[in-house]
Amino acid sequence: MSVAVSMEPAEFRLVIPSQTRYLNLVTGLAKRASLVAGLDDATSAKVSIAVDEAVTNVILHAYHGEGEHSVELELRFTEEALEIHILHSGQGLRGDQVVLPDPKEYIKHPRKGGLGLLLMSRFMDEVRFKADEASGRNECCLIKKLD
Amino acid sequence: MADLSIAMRQAGDVAILLPAGFINAHTVREFEEALEGLVRDGRYTILLNCRDLHYISSAGLGAIMGLIETVRDHKGDILLSDLQPNVFTIFDTLGFTQLYRVFGDEDQALAAVAPERKG
Repeated sequence: MSVAVSMEPAEFRLVIPSQTRYLNLVTGLAKRASLVAGLDDATSAKVSIAVDEAVTNVILHAYHGEGEHSVELELRFTEEALEIHILHSGQGLRGDQVVLPDPKEYIKHPRKGGLGLLLMSRFMDEVRFKADEASGRNECCLIKKLD
Repeated sequence: MADLSIAMRQAGDVAILLPAGFINAHTVREFEEALEGLVRDGRYTILLNCRDLHYISSAGLGAIMGLIETVRDHKGDILLSDLQPNVFTIFDTLGFTQLYRVFGDEDQALAAVAPERKG
């Protein structure tokens, strides 16, 4: 029996409570999704780290650690890339508000915090932030191209 | 299985921590408490044997960064050994392999600090 594989972009969603106890679930999903998309093991591990950082930012900063909200993950599989969209209704971040730390300066002056965004930008091909003030919905979009 | 468990032992003056599992924003407090407990006890030379550490996020890196100056001010250090490839990549990507001494295994790490401890 042959099974026809659709080449249409596929997408699905997962909604989790805004609680860090679910981070392991989300990173496991991100890694598996990356492998399904055709990325190798090392790259898939990087995608899972980027997703951990993005979801952690939403839980701790957008929702200030309040656990009764929702974080929505939308995974889109296209022929060119794996896209992971992280949507929430907490405090938004626009792209122009993002300042990445300089690793060399960071090492000269060690401190806690500030590394999550840097890891995201290093491990993904694109990281975009969108804040929609009208709807109150905000998004972090992580893109990994399939070479 | 718990997301993170941390074993601890002592080799001479070196406190060896063996985190097993995942260090992320959910488990980092446990990791931080283990490190802070050592520093409170005056154990300033700490080896993180990462052979069973599958994953560390920036939360875990921040916990290490938060104590590095304190231990070095007391002539100690935080050493790393047995990093799995993806954990090494995280440290290396951020330039942390220049900030911390990284060893292939625990014996190499202990040998490297032995003269310092004698001297």
